[in-house]
Amino acid sequence: MPATAKRIEIAAQKQLRPIVRDYFLNLDAAASDPARRVAWCTSIGPCEILTALGFEVYFPENHGALLGARKVSHEYIPRAVAAGYCAESCSYMTSDIGSALAGFSPLTEAFGIAGPPKPDLLVYSTNQCREVQDWWGFFGRRHEVPVLGITPPTHLGDVTAEHISFVRGELARLIDIIETHFGMKLNENHLTEVVARSSRASTLWNQILDTARVRPATFTFFDGLFHMSPVILMRGSQTAIDYYEVLLAEMSMRVRDGVGAVPNERYRVYWEGMPIWPKLREMSDKFFDLRAVVAASTYCNSWAFERFDGGDPLEWMAKTSIAIFINRDERFKQEFLVDMFDRFDIDGAIFHNARTCPNNTNSRFGMAQRLRDEQDRPILVFDGDLSDLRFFSTAQTMTNIEAFIEQLEERKR
Amino acid sequence: MSGPVFVGIDVGSSATKCVVIDDRFSVLGSHVVASGFDYAESAESALSRALAESGASRNDIASCVSTGYGRQHVDIADRNVTEISCHARGVREWSPEVRNIIDIGGQDTKVIRLNERGQMADYRMNAKCAAGTGTFLESIAARLGVPLKEIDALAMTSTCGTVVNSYCTVFAGTEVIERIKGGQPREDISMGIFRSIASRVFEMMPAHDGVCGVTGGVVAHCRAMVRALEEALDTMVYLPPQPQHAGAFGAALLALEFSKTEGSQPSHVARG
Ligand code: SF4
Repeated sequence: MPATAKRIEIAAQKQLRPIVRDYFLNLDAAASDPARRVAWCTSIGPCEILTALGFEVYFPENHGALLGARKVSHEYIPRAVAAGYCAESCSYMTSDIGSALAGFSPLTEAFGIAGPPKPDLLVYSTNQCREVQDWWGFFGRRHEVPVLGITPPTHLGDVTAEHISFVRGELARLIDIIETHFGMKLNENHLTEVVARSSRASTLWNQILDTARVRPATFTFFDGLFHMSPVILMRGSQTAIDYYEVLLAEMSMRVRDGVGAVPNERYRVYWEGMPIWPKLREMSDKFFDLRAVVAASTYCNSWAFERFDGGDPLEWMAKTSIAIFINRDERFKQEFLVDMFDRFDIDGAIFHNARTCPNNTNSRFGMAQRLRDEQDRPILVFDGDLSDLRFFSTAQTMTNIEAFIEQLEERKR
Repeated sequence: MSGPVFVGIDVGSSATKCVVIDDRFSVLGSHVVASGFDYAESAESALSRALAESGASRNDIASCVSTGYGRQHVDIADRNVTEISCHARGVREWSPEVRNIIDIGGQDTKVIRLNERGQMADYRMNAKCAAGTGTFLESIAARLGVPLKEIDALAMTSTCGTVVNSYCTVFAGTEVIERIKGGQPREDISMGIFRSIASRVFEMMPAHDGVCGVTGGVVAHCRAMVRALEEALDTMVYLPPQPQHAGAFGAALLALEFSKTEGSQPSHVARG
């Protein structure tokens, strides 16, 4: 193979494993301690409020991704289907529900705990999709705990003051209900501190992603999937900030020393859509062998929020929750993608049509075609799924990716 | 035989094709065998027969490129290249004005759009499903108990615009049985099956303008497939001299080109 270069490991990742382990052990301890409370929350939901109220926060979507990465989703999806959940609906949801019905969790092998922590409360936001509402509904019934949520306006073009004020109102009501139900009182200063840390972690994450703008790129989409766990699981904690400061320092050194994630980088690719969790290693190796770096992605960038500069923390939360990519209209998304292609000097983009997640798929309403017409950059759309390999063909996808790189090469000649 | 030869081997999911050319791009020999279980063995067998037809020996091989679903299994290949690039290269050689290529293979169908310079501008492969492929035809033929050749001959006598609506192999089989029960003439149902594939292919195409070249085993053996595609596209299509060998021919051309530019060949191409 011409790609004789060796992959250079990211040193910081050694610190990440114990951080993630401690996070899950703490959740497990909280679930069995009557004095502590656990809340489940959607990944871009109002977790800062829950943290500020003293809940330990767990994210079921992460469990869905773990089931996928462990390559076992397909074993549990049929159980959820038998329980009445459509086989073509979110495979995070169906694999998570199926694994709960089967009494299985990858957390057992990874961290020696029984499984997801038993919740006292489930909180969702439909800013990403409506599926989470029904997914949470299943666990609310199963654990006989309240399911609360906010339903912000979706598919927004511009984010207006009215939108923000509406969502702020929803968040304030959510706080009222939780306070009444659990007999708690939110300390607003504490919320401000949590939000400030959340924003700081997100800013650092954004800076880390930005280091991949140089040639060779410091960091790939596949690295990002691994290193983004603090910004998802520990948003609002000092741990996330400390970790990202270390990682940013390492990536800045890479920029200074010209160290690339794909050392003999020849092609720069953008990944639009969900990752394919059971195939991460194969995908990452394929791009590496083809001397292609996936230098940027919508998925990793979804956790890069606007900076919080003091002021009203609820307003910041309201704004970030609706300003995220997934909650925007086609025009905004297309402009965002073009901007990303330019900023990261992208040669071509890959759109993953995840069959069970229309919400994180952006090739269904002609966007890939429009970008192809407007931009002088090849675009590949391929079918697959985030977790369910029944919707994925390895041979066909690998051929598609190889042909895409051949297409980029033909243009370079 | 004197002089070097350049070999392309296309290991498809159903058939393995081999083409041998000389350094003036002329085809010296070609052969096709069923791919079977053992891709390495079928590649070997297609190569031996194509070399024999060319009057060449293994020692004459200057360069070999493998392509297709089983491209990694060809030991003799110096490099492997995807069937997308190879089909584009092969058809472009036969007819430089082609802008769209439709390749209907045993288990996958692809469409390739070329730009004015003949470069790949876009391409699509069918999703993980037999819809719009040779397998779709074969399974319906098997369900009816009629050989594919006969279905093709029957279809060519149809004068009616019947379409089998289902893309799904299983549903289409049921639809065909219902139509038989409903008393529709066999020739019309047969033509309808080809129209189902043509309509699936039509929606895969990113653009429909410009000359369309059609390749693959299905168009090589079924005239009704060509007819259905011409109806769907509302224009004549270009059927190259060896439609089933387009990928192997393109691979042989790339083998020749790589050997000429050795040292400056695309470094991403995996060595076999
Ligand atoms: S956004 Fe997609 S993957 Fe995430 S929960 Fe919703 S449907 Fe599932």
